[in-house]
Amino acid sequence: MIKINNLDFAYKNTQVFRRISLEFQKGNIYGLLGENGVGKTTLLKLICGLQKPQHGEVTVDGFVPSERKPEFLQNVYFLPEEVITEDTTPEKFIKKTGVFYPRYDYELFNKLMKELEVDLNKKFNELSHGQKKKALLACAMSLKTDYLFLDEPTNGLDIPSKALFRKVISQYCNDETTVIISTHQVKDVENLIDPIVILDRDDVLLNASFSQITEKIFFEYGPERLDNAYYTEMLPGGYINVMRNVNNEESNINIEALFNAVMKNKETIKNLMK
Amino acid sequence: MNNTLNINRLGKVIKYDGASFFHNLSLTLIILWAIPVALWLIASLTPNDGHMEAYMRISMIESLTKILLILTPAALYKSCNDARKGIGYAMMPASALEKFISMVFYCAIAAPIVYIAGALAVDSILALFGGPYEGFAIAGYFNQYEQIRNVFETNMMMNPEEFDKYTSMMTPAWIIFSDIFSVLMLSSIFMFGNMIFKKRKTGKMIGIIVLLIILFLIVFVNYVTNHRTMFTYMDADNAEEIIKRFIYIMIRVAFVVEIVISVVMLWLTYFKIKTQKY
Repeated sequence: MIKINNLDFAYKNTQVFRRISLEFQKGNIYGLLGENGVGKTTLLKLICGLQKPQHGEVTVDGFVPSERKPEFLQNVYFLPEEVITEDTTPEKFIKKTGVFYPRYDYELFNKLMKELEVDLNKKFNELSHGQKKKALLACAMSLKTDYLFLDEPTNGLDIPSKALFRKVISQYCNDETTVIISTHQVKDVENLIDPIVILDRDDVLLNASFSQITEKIFFEYGPERLDNAYYTEMLPGGYINVMRNVNNEESNINIEALFNAVMKNKETIKNLMK
Repeated sequence: MNNTLNINRLGKVIKYDGASFFHNLSLTLIILWAIPVALWLIASLTPNDGHMEAYMRISMIESLTKILLILTPAALYKSCNDARKGIGYAMMPASALEKFISMVFYCAIAAPIVYIAGALAVDSILALFGGPYEGFAIAGYFNQYEQIRNVFETNMMMNPEEFDKYTSMMTPAWIIFSDIFSVLMLSSIFMFGNMIFKKRKTGKMIGIIVLLIILFLIVFVNYVTNHRTMFTYMDADNAEEIIKRFIYIMIRVAFVVEIVISVVMLWLTYFKIKTQKY
């Protein structure tokens, strides 16, 4: 489990987090959402040990990430947004990297490369941006770490690849794994992520599962704009109204509308979800 | 699991780093190996009968090795402190100590050994052709002590007994030991430079060294100028003795400085690997 307690973090003069506390439970695929610059990537870096908190603590299964102990590192993998590859083939790359990870599975790598339709014998620099991203995703997943952190994983993927991405990620997750996907492309991960974490400057606005969200918030799809809605958006054929679930009705979450509702009613929804 | 040093894991880190060793260093090695060949060609093609003694060639190989030591850290570990490109290195499941040992192994041991072995092989092949290269360069290494002795005898009018007295440390074994530390010092300085600078790592480190040398010279010259009285007792009779004593002290001081700088730079490099943020 990932525990973040009273975390303070700043880059020189820019405060990113102020006393935030947060938990990520095992067996979930978290969607980490937030506006540009709120610190989604920074949070992932703090959890991976690439940055050190100025105050407070971050622990992953009891390990302090910033100590970067091998026992901790062999159980986490961070796939950054920017595709940076070596001058080698994905196969050679995974063969030299995999030896450090006790559960590394070469057969799985091969299977994923076939599933994602990437040529494992081509050098990274001969692959397109999307192909590189898919190759690195196959590498990351074949290491079978308990924690997988993906920063904007669907950027640069074509439509069929996005569907494949959702498929392989959902196959990857089990009771022992935690996947955190930081993204702006909420539609790409709509049926994949649960729970959702929404970050704001200095703060966490929401950290809740779909069932917790729909218990408190109702998504009404209808022909009218409702005045008491937290947020209303015009859709083809009508409106979506995000409102308080006063009648305990069930509804389907629209992540984009939820995000906008949370951003427009920060304190109200934060208090509602407590 | 030992989170600080595990031999099995260290082997994996060495293998991991080694996978890109020749890929990243081959061009530098080839250029530095080609220099003695180019000199041999130039000397062979020039009309005058110029010879390059073995000890001169070994000095040249030593100098080229030093250039290699300066260039190697940035060539092999260029991106290890880069906020984006260095993430893979930081997240590699190995301890900072294991990564550090592997870095020292490649920068201060493997690279100079590979270069020197190659350069001596090239030199031996060229020596077999005859021409300007006489004898094998490797023989010149063990003659260095004799060469220094000759220089002292010829230029400073010092007899062999006196030379041995003041340079009693400078045995062939000491020369090897001293060379090892000068390799380590140079390598450790540039390994540290590679960890603290993000861009133009080698150039910036050379700049700092030059600045420090200039600063040291200014302080030294100032000191000597301000303490001129200390040297007033130095006359023609005892000047030679003072210079000899100065050499005697400087040899030892230089050796201690090499060790101190190496240890400090290596520790700082390890510390940077351990605490680098991305």
